[in-house]
This record gives sequence, C-alpha cells and structure tokens, in this order.
Amino acid sequence: MASKPLRQATSGRERASDHEGFLRFQNYKWLKIAVIVSLLCLFVYAINDVQPKPNGGSIYGYITGTAGVALILWLSMLGVRKRAITPGRWSLKSWTSAHVYLGLALIVIGTLHTGFDFGWNVHTLAYALMLLVIVSGMFGIAAYAMLPQAMSANRGETTQIQMLDNLRMIDRQLNEAAQPLDAEGAAIVRMALEDDPFGGGLIARLTGRYNRCGTRAALSAVREHKSRQEAAADPLDHVEVLLERKKSSLSRIRKHLRYKALLEIWLYVHVPVTFALIAALLVHIVSVFYYW
Amino acid sequence: MSFIVRTVARTADGRDIVRLKKFDQTELSIGRSPSSDIHLPDLAVVLNHAVIRVVPGGVVEIAATAGMPFVVDGKSTEHQRFAVSPGANVRIGSHSLTIEPSEGEEQGAVIVTVERVGAISNASEDKEEARVFSLAAVLPGKRALAWAGALLVLAVFLVWPLTSINTQPTDSTRKVAFHADEFWTSGKLSRAHKPLENNCQACHVKAGESVRDSACIACHTTVHDHGDPAKLSAAKGPVGIVTGTKQFVGGFFGIKPGRCVECHTEHQGETAMPVTDERFCTTCHDGMSSRIKTALKDASDFDEHHPQFAPTIRSLGMNGVPTFSRVSLDQNPKEYNGLKFPHDIHLSKSNGVAQMAKTLGKAEGYGAPLDCASCHVRDATGTSFATVDMEPACGACHSLAFDRVGDTVRTLRHGDPAQVIADIRAFYRGGAPRAPTLTGMQRRRPGDFTAAAQGGSVAPTSALHVGTADQAIRSVFSKGGACFDCHVIRETGNRMTPFAVAPVKLTSRYLKKGWFDHSAHETESCTSCHAVNLSRSANDVNLPKLSTCQECHGSQDAHKEVPSSCALCHDYHRTEFAPSAVRKSRERGKAGEHIEEKALKRAGTGV
Repeated sequence: MASKPLRQATSGRERASDHEGFLRFQNYKWLKIAVIVSLLCLFVYAINDVQPKPNGGSIYGYITGTAGVALILWLSMLGVRKRAITPGRWSLKSWTSAHVYLGLALIVIGTLHTGFDFGWNVHTLAYALMLLVIVSGMFGIAAYAMLPQAMSANRGETTQIQMLDNLRMIDRQLNEAAQPLDAEGAAIVRMALEDDPFGGGLIARLTGRYNRCGTRAALSAVREHKSRQEAAADPLDHVEVLLERKKSSLSRIRKHLRYKALLEIWLYVHVPVTFALIAALLVHIVSVFYYW
Repeated sequence: MSFIVRTVARTADGRDIVRLKKFDQTELSIGRSPSSDIHLPDLAVVLNHAVIRVVPGGVVEIAATAGMPFVVDGKSTEHQRFAVSPGANVRIGSHSLTIEPSEGEEQGAVIVTVERVGAISNASEDKEEARVFSLAAVLPGKRALAWAGALLVLAVFLVWPLTSINTQPTDSTRKVAFHADEFWTSGKLSRAHKPLENNCQACHVKAGESVRDSACIACHTTVHDHGDPAKLSAAKGPVGIVTGTKQFVGGFFGIKPGRCVECHTEHQGETAMPVTDERFCTTCHDGMSSRIKTALKDASDFDEHHPQFAPTIRSLGMNGVPTFSRVSLDQNPKEYNGLKFPHDIHLSKSNGVAQMAKTLGKAEGYGAPLDCASCHVRDATGTSFATVDMEPACGACHSLAFDRVGDTVRTLRHGDPAQVIADIRAFYRGGAPRAPTLTGMQRRRPGDFTAAAQGGSVAPTSALHVGTADQAIRSVFSKGGACFDCHVIRETGNRMTPFAVAPVKLTSRYLKKGWFDHSAHETESCTSCHAVNLSRSANDVNLPKLSTCQECHGSQDAHKEVPSSCALCHDYHRTEFAPSAVRKSRERGKAGEHIEEKALKRAGTGV
C-alpha cells in the first residue's frame, strides 16, 4: 500500500522547530494523567460516605495520604534527577513534565486527604507548606513562561559583564570629570561612585525600586547646585551628563536584576519549603500514629 | 634632604608601572589639585589635603591643611610625626602613601610610594558575576534555608512535643496550660471532653497504641453494655470488604471491633459529641431476627423500616392482678387503669360540660370549653405531663362537698373510701338527719353548683336528705353517686366498709424502649397526635401511630422536616434519661442544652 511520506521535506530556509517544552511534552501526556487521577480521587471522595465526617483516618484518607506522601517524595527527587540528564522515555523533560502535572494533582489528592478538616496543628501546617510549595512552583512556571522575553528585550545584545563594564567605564569618566571639583562637588560625585548597583536587598531586587540610590541623589544634588551658572562652562555640566548616563545604565541593570530575581525567587521558596514540608510530613505521620 | 615620590600604577593585566619623581625640597603638598606635589586623583581627597615635611632629626611630619583627617598606621589624625626609619603608612582617601628611608645612593632621602588601593567606585570593585547578578547575593543559600526550615519544624513540632510528653506529669499535678503535644491534635475535643484538651495522654495512654476502652472506662464507670457481648457480636451481619479490611488490619495492632471510639468519634470540633450514626444501629438491627433469637423486631430506617410502636399496656389478669405487656398499636390495645373517663364528652365544644366550664368562668381557671390543658399539666422537665390529680383537675365540677359548718365546707376525702364511709356515718350519728346543706353525696351535674357558690344554695333533694347512713353510703358508691361514675366500685361484703374502689393507675410512660419529648413538639397541637376527641373510654390508648411521627420524622438522611437517626429516640447505653442525642444534638442547639439541663436536674447531679 502506498503511503505518503509522513512529512514533506521543508522547502526554503525555514525549518520547523521540533522543540517541545516540558509543559506540552508528549501532547500533554502527564496533564491527562494528572487530570484522570484528580477526577478519580474526586469521584471516590464524592461517593465515599465517611462518618461522622471525612478525615485522613478513613480508608480513603489512608490511601490518599500514602499516595500523597509517596508523590511528594518522588517530586522532591527531581532535584537529584535533574543533575543526571538522560534521553528516552524517562528523559529529564518527561520527568519535569510529570513533576509539574502530578505536583498540581497533589492539590486535589492532598486536599481530599484532609477531608477539609483544618486546625492550628502540625497536620494543617504540612498541608499549608505543601500548598506553598505548589503555588511557588506555579509562580515559577509562570515566570519562566513570561519573563525571559522581557529580560532579553531589556538586555539587548549585551551580557551581564558588558553591562557591568559599561557602568565601570562611566564611573571612571565620572571620577575624571570630578577631579576639578571642590570637596562638596566631589562628595556629590562620590555618592554616585559608592553606589552599589547590586545593593538594596531582596525587596529592592523584586520591586526594582532602590530608594537610597546614590546616583539619583547625586543627580538631583548636581542639578540643584547653587554655584552653577547658565552660561558659563562648568565641570558639573559634564558630571551631570555622566550621571545621567550612569542612571540609565543602572536602571537597565536593575531591571535585569529584577527579572532575574523574579525568575529565581520561587526556587528559594520551592526548595527550602519542600524540605520543611518533608519534615512536617514526618512529624504528621509520627504524631498520628503516636497518638493513634 | 629630599623626597623621592614613587607613583605606582597598575595595568589592566596586573603589571605595576612605577614612575619616579625627585623633589629637592623639605616639604611636599598632597592633594587632588593638579598643582600638588603629590597629586592624588581621588575624590575623597580635597584639593589641598595635607603637607608632608622633613623635620631635622630624621623625623617626618604630616599635617592636614584643610582640616580633613587622614590615617597614619591605622589611626585617624590631622597631624602626626614619626621617624623616617622605620617610616609609616599614610592612607588618604583611596590612596596609600608608604613612607620609608631610602638606601644606597640616595641615602638620606625620604621615599614616598603612592599607590591607589581602593577601586574608583563600588561598581569597579571585584564582583563575582554569577553571585552579584543572582539572588544569592541578597538571600541565604537554598541549602541553608532548607536545613533551617526542616530543623525548625522538627524542633518545634517533634522534639518539643516528645520532650513535653516524657517530662510532664499526667496526673492531677499536670498544669492546665498549653502542652506542646497539642500541636498534634487533629481537632478540638467535644464539649464533654474539653477539660482533657491539655492532656492528650488521658486517652492516648500508650505511644503508638490506638485508644482503648480502658481509657474511657477510667472515667465512665457506670456505662453499661448494650447487651451480652457474645450476643452483640452474633447480631452483627457479615462484614463488608471495607469493614473486613479495617478489622483485619486493625487486628495486627490489637484493635478489636466494638470499641467505644467506633461510635464515639472524638476531635470533631468543640461541639457536643456528634450524634451516633444510624449505621451503627442498623448493622445489627437490620435483619437481626434472622441472626439471633430475639423478641425485638427488625429495624433499619425510621421512614421505611421501623416496627409499629408497641406501648407497655396495663391489663387486668385472670384473678384481678394487673399485668403488663407490650402490644402493637396496630392491634388497637385497650388498657385497664381503673378509671372511667370519656375524653369525648369532656372535650366537646357545645355540650353540658362545655357550658359548665363557661359558667365556671375565668376566675376558676375555665371560662371556655375544656381543652387538654384544663387537666393535663406539664411536669417539671417539660418532657412529659404531671399525673392528673382529682381535686385540682376535676374538683371544680365534680365536687365532693357534703356539709357546711359555718363558712367551712366539708368534703368527702378523695382516695380514701374507708374515710368517706366513716365521715358519712359520723354525719348521721348526730341523731335525726338534719337538712343537708349540700348535695355532695350525689355527683354534681353541670349547672348545679360551683364550688364557690356552694355556700349560697341548698339542693332540696339529696341522698342524704332522708334515710339512714347505710343508704347514703350505698348511694354514693352506686350508679349516680359521686364515686361510681368515675371509679370501678367493688362490694367488699364487709359491713363496716362495704365498698372498695379499684386503684387507679394512670400510665405515665408508654414507650419505655424509646424516648419522647413533649417540649420538643410544642409546635404541634395535642390532638394532631392524640386523637382523644373521639375517645369514649378511658381504656383507649390514645397514642399516635408510627405513621403520624413519619409525617415529620424521616431517617437521618431523609428529606423530611426532621431527619432522625435512631439515636434521637433510642439510647445505646439506655438510662432513664433522654438519649444523649436528644440532650446533646447540635441541631437542637439551645433547646438541646435546655433539655440537658433538665435531665441533669432531674437526675440530681451535674455529672
């Protein structure tokens, strides 16, 4: 039987990319599996009449609890697995895809395990930590999906080192230009020079707002400097130009830092809280059987 | 004396370039100004910052000219002298000036080595790209955070509770305060067990062992079994897969079926202990008669599968001895209580009784045709009704007055036939029967006299008007007499007390296996359940049948006005009080608490 070739040879120079992200890996195979698992859990929960009210100690509770803890331990193994990249059915991409979708299914499994029985105790703590891990993961995926383009656009063709070198060059020029200035003028320029482009802490990194920016302070100080005259040439004129340049250079770096921070921050929640979660799970399991 | 100034500059690849400049003078100026002898292109340095001069005696002096300090050998100062040998290190701004004596050819000169040691700007300092551009620069490492979080959780939620468990007393010396093992609670305890909230080990006696009945019995010393344990286990039907699995797995951990906690689930929140689920009853009572020999009828659902009520009925046995037996309402049972009382006549809205009640007026507590409340009064608990007493309930019409001395009305003593006979004899003993002032020997009829009006009128005809004491006694105890119409009279054959009245035993509780609370049914009228309007005889058992209850009550999951599990009427550990479900039912809310209070009051205990 004659059969058409599966794929026509591509013409011209354009070639279809065969890249398939972990989200749509194998035509959403793991999404489908996760949805089926979740629906199954929901269905059994709906028809399962636990008295006096649903709780983790029922047979259904034990099953979802065991599945949940196994899943959590397996999901946390991604950190180990990702350090060994292998192809094939259990490729890292497949593993990541499963990590994401089964992790989302954990919301259903974990929540149904609780039977919506919450309180101020270690059990609900474990649940809250689990949700925090999952939500941070969701944030991470969203960040990975949306930010790289913006980051790339901001950065242009420059590398991080080039950005930093540009700043250093401006600083050298500023230093030169400020030499003729008196102590007061020098102090103004020094505010800009001593400004740490990477300083400001976590909040500044995430928001991109650096309230104690020395360069901005220097710029406004220079503009308001009383000794400046409209007509006469003044060394401060050049300083002002340089400060302007430094400001825009800094702003680009800081925008870059903000994108990087948003891309990284979720892991600072996702990973440490995972370990806190595993500890809380251990306590949860120990305590429910200690006080059976 | 002269100065040799060596200016060291560093190339991009790290090589040093040294430029020498000799000064044949004893004083050099230091500053940012290009005209300075030692020019420091450093914004932290003022235009004319300091002077350095040689003082005779091999001493060098350095002094600030603009009042800006500098650092000599780590010490901030504005003026400093030191020996040329060994010299000193002076730090001005980002520049370092090392002062030392020269050797060899140039002996006697002072060498000043000038070198920039600080970067021009913060950005120009060495930065590790991977670090400064990432969050690693502003946050602790993920590994450190992970360890900290995990250890914190383990310390607070595992080590602390375990320490508390192993160090705190569990007896009465235990403090009523937070104990760390409360982190492990799966929910608040019920209100009944609230005092145990701080003492997990009161019930969870042994680590890793599920709660045993012994923990419950430690306090609940008087709770009895529902039945013989062997019979109980025989009554249970075959277990399903779920229960079977539970019991099989539980067996490995010494968990036996039938534990207290199977029905009494705790940690369900700070409410009354939840009502026991219907299924705990129906596992046995559904089809039980096929499994064990029992007089009990099968029941599985109040709505669809519940036997007809079988009240305990008093009847008269062969030799006049009363017997009690449970008879289904379907068999229209008749009870014998020794009384003659037609409800229908008394509840009529128009007959003589109704007229009499109207005539009596409000002052006597009537004024309208009789209703149930005219005779039946709630008991102290509100659950049931006080026994009807003749004098207050009937006496207004059925007067026992027979004589008046001055303003005092003499009555026949109710409930004591011998006394009645003696009083009549005494009445006649005083010689010829005087004209009777009252006609008490005869049952009063509506329209005769009211108790209040008795003083005012005298009936012209009376059993006591003529005749002898014996005739009068006979007339009182015979048809038409005061006693006869309500009571069953027996002739004794004894001359002195020729008549006896059969004892009246009104049933105060018919359904002894279940519970009925009248106060919970205040929304209903009496006759909506008790069809007494048509009852002609006191022998009628005017209880509503099952179907009447089913109009509102269904099984616990029924879509009826009042979903009712078994526990609403029946108690597993039956006592004389209301079932705990009635007392503690959450649905009942305030009413439940009210009943609870009353039940406790009646029991005379708060526990």
